[in-house]
Amino acid sequence: MDNNLAGDSPPPPPPPPPPPRPKWRKVAYGGMQIGYDDNYTDETFLEEMVMNANVVRRDLLKVMKDSISISQYLCIVALVVLVWFHTLQSSLDETSLLLLDLSLLALGFLVLLLTEEKMLSLRLLLRYVTNITFFTTGLYVLAPVYQTLTRSISSDSIWAVTVSLLLLHLFLHDYSGSTIRAPGALKSPSLTSCISVNASVVASVFVASRLPSRGHVFAVMLFSLQVFLFAPLVAYCIKKFSFGLHLGFSFALMGLTMYSVYALHRLFFVLFLVLVVVVNVVCPYWLIRMQEYKFEINGPWDEAKLCFDITD
Amino acid sequence: MAEPKLRILMVSDFFFPNFGGVENHIYYLSQCLLNLGHKVVVMTHAYGNRTGVRYMTGGLKVYYVPWRPFTMQNTFPTVYGTLPIVRTILKRERITVVHGHQAFSTLCHEALMHARTMGYRVVFTDHSLYGFADVGSIHMNKVLQFTLADIDQAICVSHTSKENTVLRSGLAPGKVFMIPNAVDTAMFKPADVRPSSDDVITIVVISRLVYRKGADLLVEVIPEVCRLYPNVRFVVGGDGPKHVRLEEMREKHSLQDRVEMLGAVPHSRVRYVLVTGGIFLNSSLTEAFCIAILEAASCGLLTVSTRVGGVLPDDMVVLAEPDPDDMVRAIEKAISILPSINPEEMHNRMTKLYSWQDVAKRTEIVYDRALKCSNRSLLERLSRFLSCGAWAGKVFCMVMIIDYLLWRLLQLLQPDDDIEEAPEINFCN
Repeated sequence: MDNNLAGDSPPPPPPPPPPPRPKWRKVAYGGMQIGYDDNYTDETFLEEMVMNANVVRRDLLKVMKDSISISQYLCIVALVVLVWFHTLQSSLDETSLLLLDLSLLALGFLVLLLTEEKMLSLRLLLRYVTNITFFTTGLYVLAPVYQTLTRSISSDSIWAVTVSLLLLHLFLHDYSGSTIRAPGALKSPSLTSCISVNASVVASVFVASRLPSRGHVFAVMLFSLQVFLFAPLVAYCIKKFSFGLHLGFSFALMGLTMYSVYALHRLFFVLFLVLVVVVNVVCPYWLIRMQEYKFEINGPWDEAKLCFDITD
Repeated sequence: MAEPKLRILMVSDFFFPNFGGVENHIYYLSQCLLNLGHKVVVMTHAYGNRTGVRYMTGGLKVYYVPWRPFTMQNTFPTVYGTLPIVRTILKRERITVVHGHQAFSTLCHEALMHARTMGYRVVFTDHSLYGFADVGSIHMNKVLQFTLADIDQAICVSHTSKENTVLRSGLAPGKVFMIPNAVDTAMFKPADVRPSSDDVITIVVISRLVYRKGADLLVEVIPEVCRLYPNVRFVVGGDGPKHVRLEEMREKHSLQDRVEMLGAVPHSRVRYVLVTGGIFLNSSLTEAFCIAILEAASCGLLTVSTRVGGVLPDDMVVLAEPDPDDMVRAIEKAISILPSINPEEMHNRMTKLYSWQDVAKRTEIVYDRALKCSNRSLLERLSRFLSCGAWAGKVFCMVMIIDYLLWRLLQLLQPDDDIEEAPEINFCN
């Protein structure tokens, strides 16, 4: 019995539904947004994140082909060390060394002439010849200084320093190009490649200072400096000229080195073989396997890259 | 005086007398929290001869702990060296919430770690953006992961900053609150007398002249704009390594009478410089939260800026890509809409869009949320650290265990009851 005795009053209208909360906006102004907490996260969160945008996907065969430059240079350095070894053991005498130097110089020039696309003008060649003459004369004049340079230092220190310097040289060497470039090249040498060239030069000086006569010193210094300073340039020219020629040259060098090391000592041969296999096969495979862990994150928080060069 | 509702300790390496965004943020936030009836104490390292306890406006107590900064205003990280002093301060002031600022501050990380060991509630605010690719950033992100693995709540100053922090630390997005910085609109008012509407339009730039703030973009943009608009002049305030390049640009294009270089502008004179202009130009390459733009908008200037989406409504700012041509286009658009801008109206809108009181209220909500988080035992907390990484997780666990043991040792040597509590001092506001 709940009739209203005072009269028929209509039932109260239902309360109006609460107004729908306004859409959340991703802005910082205006204080707290009504109906949303400050830790509200909607589906546009991390929308502008870009993953692995600049990653280069590598192919196993290409990496293996590129690693041939590294083993080629390792063979060159091994050959230089072999020549040093034979000279120190007096298996190679002065005249044969000098002949070796001259033939290497001539070969190097020939390769440069044949593979350089730009016209090597007569003036440039003349400049090269003058430079080489100055260089050789300077070395000949300084040979007596080098001979007596390390007389007071014991032999094992010399060998230890030479080995460490050679290792430093191999680590910091610029395998993709050449420190000494033909005139007109664009990229200037980096700090590490300059350090590696210096390390190899100092190693040659140390080894040369252990030799018996001035003639030996001059010949070995000339040989070492020729190879360390110009071999990268020659190899670079060959690679640029034709990839097939580059492959052939590398395999020939590898064969020559393996044969010479085998003739010297079995153990070194095995070690060298293992090193070449690791550099050419194991390391490329390992690099490709590690690619899948690459996780590069870019987004609106990154510093913008200026699209123009800053010239001071 | 009623018992304060919350007792907050702000920790950072960066506080006054050093000047910057983080310092300003801590100071203003503390003042507004004091007005709301809480007790706030600030802990920072000594600045020169300024060591010991100081009191600032409103009764803000600042502990200048006698540790010297060693690089870029950071104290030397000794991991456990700050445990005794942090414990003493927390006990003396009967703190309930510890709030750390800035990921780059070593004192902040250490204090938060000790506070967690002793069972206090911890909140962290991140003020900067970091990358992921260089060695410094990778190291910093790992340290941040350690600190944020065990935190109660985190605050970021913008949405970009929130995304960046979540990616760097692996924190759940629901734990990160977005509370922006604000600006003291009472200090930044438009000019009382509007400059007569002669044709000269003044564009103001106030920033540090470094690469990160886009000084190189200025060098490209200013001559182009001066060439296109003969009635525009520039006022450049601020100093830095790129000052030389700007001077060279002035000489090269003979803009000495149209580009005025003011050098370093002290903060008290910033408003005076801003009100001389009609447009504010910001060319920074990356910015977590740009307070300079807020100051300019509060003074009634129209802003042209790069990379700061979401900070101001679309009618108060013209956005541009960090590219000289796009910036010139944006400046052209700004010049065309400048006559329709009313500085007073813009200032009034700014007072409603940003205020430190609002920031303080929102931060109070974060503190309440943090206090509601359950207190975990040491073993439960250690499991959170293990997920930080294969090696790092175990190292972090070791660090926390040693911290816990050192805390117990300190409790043995100097029991909690022996630490005298600081008396409450009433400051008549």
